[in-house]
Amino acid sequence: MILLEPNNRVVEETLTLKFKNAQAGVKHESIDVTLADFDGVLFHISNPNGDKTKVRVSISLKFYKDLQEHGADELLQKIYGDLVTATEEGYNVSLLVDLENIPDDWESLVKKIGLLKTNCFASVFVKYFEFQEKGEEGAKRAVVHYRDEETMYVEAKADRVTVVFSTIFRDEDDVVIGKVFMQEFKEGRKASHTAPQVLFSHREPPLELQNTDARVGDNIGYITDYLHYHIKCSKAYIHSRMRAKTSEILKVLNRARPEAKSTEKKTISGRTFRPS
Amino acid sequence: MPGTQQEIDVAIYERSGGDWRRVDQLDQHDLRVTGIDWAPKSNRIVTCAADRNAYVWTQEAGGKWRPTLVLLRINRAATCVKWSPEENKFAVGSGARLISVCYFEQENDWWVSKHIKKPIRSTITSLDWHPNNVLLAAGSTDFKVRVFSAYIKDIEGKPSATCWGTKMPLGQLMAEVSGSAAAGGGGWVHDVQFSASGQQLAWCAHDSSVSVLDAADGNKVITLRTDQLPYRSISWVGANALVAAGYSCCPMLYVIEGDAIKLAAKLDQAQKKEGGGVSAMRKFQSLDKQSRSDADDTSLATLHQNSICVTRVFEGDRSSARRISTSGTDGLLVIWDVQSLQSSMAGLKIK
Amino acid sequence: MAATLKPYLTAVRHTLTAAMCLEDFSSQVVERHNKPEVEVRTSKELLLTPVTISRNEKERVLIESSINSIRVSIAIKQADEIEKILSHKFMRFMMMRAENFVILRRKPVQGYDISFLITNHHTEAMYKHKLVDFLITFMEEIDREISEMKLAVNARARICAEEFLKRF
Repeated sequence: MILLEPNNRVVEETLTLKFKNAQAGVKHESIDVTLADFDGVLFHISNPNGDKTKVRVSISLKFYKDLQEHGADELLQKIYGDLVTATEEGYNVSLLVDLENIPDDWESLVKKIGLLKTNCFASVFVKYFEFQEKGEEGAKRAVVHYRDEETMYVEAKADRVTVVFSTIFRDEDDVVIGKVFMQEFKEGRKASHTAPQVLFSHREPPLELQNTDARVGDNIGYITDYLHYHIKCSKAYIHSRMRAKTSEILKVLNRARPEAKSTEKKTISGRTFRPS
Repeated sequence: MPGTQQEIDVAIYERSGGDWRRVDQLDQHDLRVTGIDWAPKSNRIVTCAADRNAYVWTQEAGGKWRPTLVLLRINRAATCVKWSPEENKFAVGSGARLISVCYFEQENDWWVSKHIKKPIRSTITSLDWHPNNVLLAAGSTDFKVRVFSAYIKDIEGKPSATCWGTKMPLGQLMAEVSGSAAAGGGGWVHDVQFSASGQQLAWCAHDSSVSVLDAADGNKVITLRTDQLPYRSISWVGANALVAAGYSCCPMLYVIEGDAIKLAAKLDQAQKKEGGGVSAMRKFQSLDKQSRSDADDTSLATLHQNSICVTRVFEGDRSSARRISTSGTDGLLVIWDVQSLQSSMAGLKIK
Repeated sequence: MAATLKPYLTAVRHTLTAAMCLEDFSSQVVERHNKPEVEVRTSKELLLTPVTISRNEKERVLIESSINSIRVSIAIKQADEIEKILSHKFMRFMMMRAENFVILRRKPVQGYDISFLITNHHTEAMYKHKLVDFLITFMEEIDREISEMKLAVNARARICAEEFLKRF
């Protein structure tokens, strides 16, 4: 069963390769990679000003403005510290790695950079968890339009933090399959008692009922991706079953056809062979 | 022996020794041939087809068959055709809700036709001539069996009265019965046939019934609703015996006893054919194409594998048939011995 | 529930056997035409009374016959939303491949999920009893397949929800 990871594997692997090559003394090669992640997120890995010894990782999030309001900049500064560099044109955050000055624990550094996107999201949660811990109530509700048709709402109450994901299924069929999945999420607490309570509703005003009451870790940002991914898989599976069944049923229909008169065949000895 | 192939060509087969050999092909029609009849005395063949045409075929010295077009004057498919007993005329039924009675006009050297229209309300499915060469029975999809006069005064003398009536101008309706009088509704009439004496008329309809009308007994109708699928064809094989065949793929012998029609025997003693050894290759083929391992249950237990559409007396006549032939949509022509069956009601042999 | 399936299918089988007695029949309305009368419906005397066989409110079969063709329409059980979309998807999938199925109608008759049109050409070229077998097998298999697909989707949903929530 595939679970989506909160980190970006491509970013990690690219950087790992870079570090390993640098340590092995291989000549630095220029790099210019653009890659996409979920939620319309773009990564850009390049050498700033053509300097092959430096690698810059930039991220572009359409909704970064929403996140900034909730202290994304501060949080990233806290996590990445010196790595944060002048933001590349057209992106929201840029990190810089110096290949000539590789720290010993470069592996954890790679992990950290891989989590760049997650950490951008995390700012909102961190802020609201703090609100909740301090028992502050009535803070403005955070709204993050993290995708064209999906919005996340975060709200802090005295006893809980509520995270609401509003998602739109384009296809009617997806709605139904989605409901099956959500139903299971709702009942999924049986599997893990520490899991947050999940509620869902369909076609209701989102903030009234469509609550995901969550005391959450950072990767909750991936739940809708996760959902969409599994719905797609389910549909593919259904499709393959239908294909198999259709061809099977077709074979049953073939039974109604009288067998074609087989042409005469000669046996090896030259005699005529007629299948009975 | 001519046989239609349910296609646009008619093939003529000759029986020589034990095998049938194709000797000629009558290819004039451009749509499905629907009817064919052979005139034994004058050795002529008439065919009709869904292309609205009919041809009379005569055999030339070299054995080739030459067609002559008949002016049917119909604008729908022809469905069936029958020579009259004297072979001076024939009748063609059609989807134009009429019957064309065709005869040869000497002065024009031409086959022409006269129409019987009223009161036919649907397609004519079957025709049969009375032995007096005048009366014509017709079955139709309007659930009715009718007896008309097909008297052509240009070519024949005034007919004498029969038990069906006395006045017989062309098109006179002599009798009309619902396809299955006893049951009320009935169904499409598939086949009609006069008995050898011409007094009785038998027919079968889509409600699986077999009926006999006796004109000598005040047009009394007796009907048997069978538990079989509908019969498409019926034929007298004796004064009181009938063979009916149809969608059940098995010809059945019925006898008239007093006021009832009774099932006497099945001509096809259905037996499950012994499945010979099945080769491994065949097994895999059937698994691949049909997803099952045994192909044994495909064929029916009966000899005919699809519905029987024509039953004809092959040897003898309607008053006492020795052998009959059946042909079906499965492309098979089967000859059955009914004489021994009638005499012993057992020990049926298929030749 | 299963106890009612057998008599239901037996009734369908017998009705189909009786209804599938077809012959070649040229149109008596349009010159040189030969069309399935059950579709063109131009001569009412050539149509037989349609028969509906119902197992329950949702599962039923409509058998309309005529002199040269029969139309068999099947309504498949759809207990809930997921069964509904599964059967809808499945039927659409098959109807898009109608040319392979020969007897499958491209559109179902209104009120039904899938329709078959069998003409005399089909009964002449194929074994009639096997055509009946096919329709019966079809009805059995579709029900089973939809139930199985539904279970599979549910199972997947459960596992992935559990896996996801285990991480907390």
